[in-house]
Amino acid sequence: MRVRMIDVQKSFGQNEVVKNLSLDIADGELLVLLGESGCGKTTALRMVAGLETVSGGTIEIGDHDVTNVLPKYRNVAMVFQSYALYPHMTVAKNIGYPLKLRGTPAAELDAAVRAAAEKVHLEDLLHRYPRQLSGGQRQRVALARAMVRTPSVFLMDEPLSNLDAKLRIAMRVELKRLQSELGVTTIYVTHDQVEAMTLAHRVAVMDEGVLQQVAPPKEIYDDPANLFVARFIGAPAMNIVSGAVEDGRFTVRDGAVPLAGAAPSGSLYLGFRPEDAVLAPVEEAMLRARIYSTEMTGNETIVTCLLNEEQVVVRADKDFEASMDTAVGINLDPAKARLFDSESGNRVRR
Amino acid sequence: MNIPERTLLRRLFMPYDLTSMAPATKVLVYTLLVLWLLVVLFPLYWLFITSFKLPIQVNDGPDFIPFIDFEPSLHAWHYIFFELGNDTFRPYLNSVIVAFCATVACVLVGSFAAYALVRIQYRVKVGNVLAFLVLLGLTVFTVTSLGAPLFAAAPVAIILFVFFVAAVGRYFRRALGNDDILFWIISNRILPPVVVVLPVYLMFQRLGLLDTHIALIATYTAINLPIVVWLMRDFFAGIPLDLEESAQIDGASRLRIFFTIVLPLARPGLAATSLLILILAWNEYLLALFISTADAQTMPMLVAAQNATRGPQWWYMSVLIVIMIAPIVLTAALLQRHIARGLLIGAIKG
Repeated sequence: MRVRMIDVQKSFGQNEVVKNLSLDIADGELLVLLGESGCGKTTALRMVAGLETVSGGTIEIGDHDVTNVLPKYRNVAMVFQSYALYPHMTVAKNIGYPLKLRGTPAAELDAAVRAAAEKVHLEDLLHRYPRQLSGGQRQRVALARAMVRTPSVFLMDEPLSNLDAKLRIAMRVELKRLQSELGVTTIYVTHDQVEAMTLAHRVAVMDEGVLQQVAPPKEIYDDPANLFVARFIGAPAMNIVSGAVEDGRFTVRDGAVPLAGAAPSGSLYLGFRPEDAVLAPVEEAMLRARIYSTEMTGNETIVTCLLNEEQVVVRADKDFEASMDTAVGINLDPAKARLFDSESGNRVRR
Repeated sequence: MNIPERTLLRRLFMPYDLTSMAPATKVLVYTLLVLWLLVVLFPLYWLFITSFKLPIQVNDGPDFIPFIDFEPSLHAWHYIFFELGNDTFRPYLNSVIVAFCATVACVLVGSFAAYALVRIQYRVKVGNVLAFLVLLGLTVFTVTSLGAPLFAAAPVAIILFVFFVAAVGRYFRRALGNDDILFWIISNRILPPVVVVLPVYLMFQRLGLLDTHIALIATYTAINLPIVVWLMRDFFAGIPLDLEESAQIDGASRLRIFFTIVLPLARPGLAATSLLILILAWNEYLLALFISTADAQTMPMLVAAQNATRGPQWWYMSVLIVIMIAPIVLTAALLQRHIARGLLIGAIKG
């Protein structure tokens, strides 16, 4: 079902946690709310669930205004970061709990529990208690409990963050598959940008309670709306260099980058991705820098350079070798460079 | 390096590791424990053998070993069970009814209060409390001194209070929080019971409930509530909020959450608290002395009555105490296995 948040606000006392958040999530879409801890993303999710009251604005699920509706009437299903399994109930009882509360007949309930358990490969563990399960299995019980009824929305609050790295990647794949098969609108909260990029139909980046950008993952990566998104997305993140634009060239102390098209002028920031730049001999390069450190990761070498005393990261071939403090030149693709206003931090379009 | 030599003295007094005791300490600790065990068990043993003695054998001096020091006799048991007959069984049944009913009522009501104090944030305005007390005083004054009928004065006072709260209440700043309320509840127990004996007696006299089960159950429930609230609050506070929020989203009402999630998870606390309250109610003497005279008389009364004009009749007392201990020991054995830890394992995290 379609979920709309219209100008939603939340404050705890004087502390504004979510500021004028507006989101329109289409039926069947998987939207990821991404941001650092304390940015208001979990609060936003809890408001959709009804666990948190709304200080201002409206929340709609389907055609219904649910702003002041109790959680039990919203028909949402939530997966908690802690899984929140009922420790005194078996796996089957845990999964069946939402149906039991709705007075589902026993036979129907058993069938639904079995079907949900099969979707997450838990059918052999139905009689166990949560304490007898591994972290990954508990996680899947939580998922099955959310899927056992047909909710209007899935709400997921960092569901994978308590798993170890390998399991997290496997579950990510499973989650994406399940969501697509079930076709249920999903709001997924995470601080992990890889999770956001890989899972989302659209990513909503939040910072200090303010929505920074909502866009498909590729657009978030290629066309960040402002400096925050540019710095937040990507590992290593986008390089940001301060300088000035004069005569269609972005100029720093040690070089200049020609900008195609009509460029604005004045003091700006230039942003470019580590993979959009190449290292070159100093005399032929647009920018002159020196090597600060190199890190070989296996498939590539991450080279950190100092440009104007600012750190700039360039991805180089895995065979790249250079000693520290050698002078090096950086060339970049001007078409892929992004300009940002030095005061507002917003993207400046060319 | 300077490793000290392992002399005999060091071996005796130095533990091998952090989780074991040194041999000498072990001997000392177990000696003390055995001594204390004797102190605790000896009175019980004395009681048990005394119940099988004839009066002459009790007064004869310290005889402790049956069949050698004295010849066991069932005379006291016969007297209590057959000659006294119903005069033993009635107080016994009274004690069972009163203590168990009071325990159930007290633990249930106290758990509700404790749960509310854990989950709901109260802000009771001091001004409103003062207004209530003033109006209460005025009501008492008009009814007793001015002769106004209570059925007229009370509703007027209540209406005045409601108006006062609605009109002036929000201008008060000082408020009492949950901790203040908890302290108030516990403070009720600080008062020595003897202070309230007469008011309680007069109250039940007015109600015509003296010497009834209801009076005793109500009294024991009331005086033990603070203990239940105090103990259960900690147990409830240990239950993760996530579980309750999850249940809420799954569609459970507040009462349903309380009875299907919170209470089962607080089972160790419930068992321990119930046992404590049962013992307190079972052994209560002072209030029972005033409230129950004949029909509702409890076991402590009957035991005390054996110390009558003929001097303390230790043999009858011993029999009564032995049969009085039995139900409590039995209940403790039954509840013991519920007082286990680790019930929450598997609820949250991996």
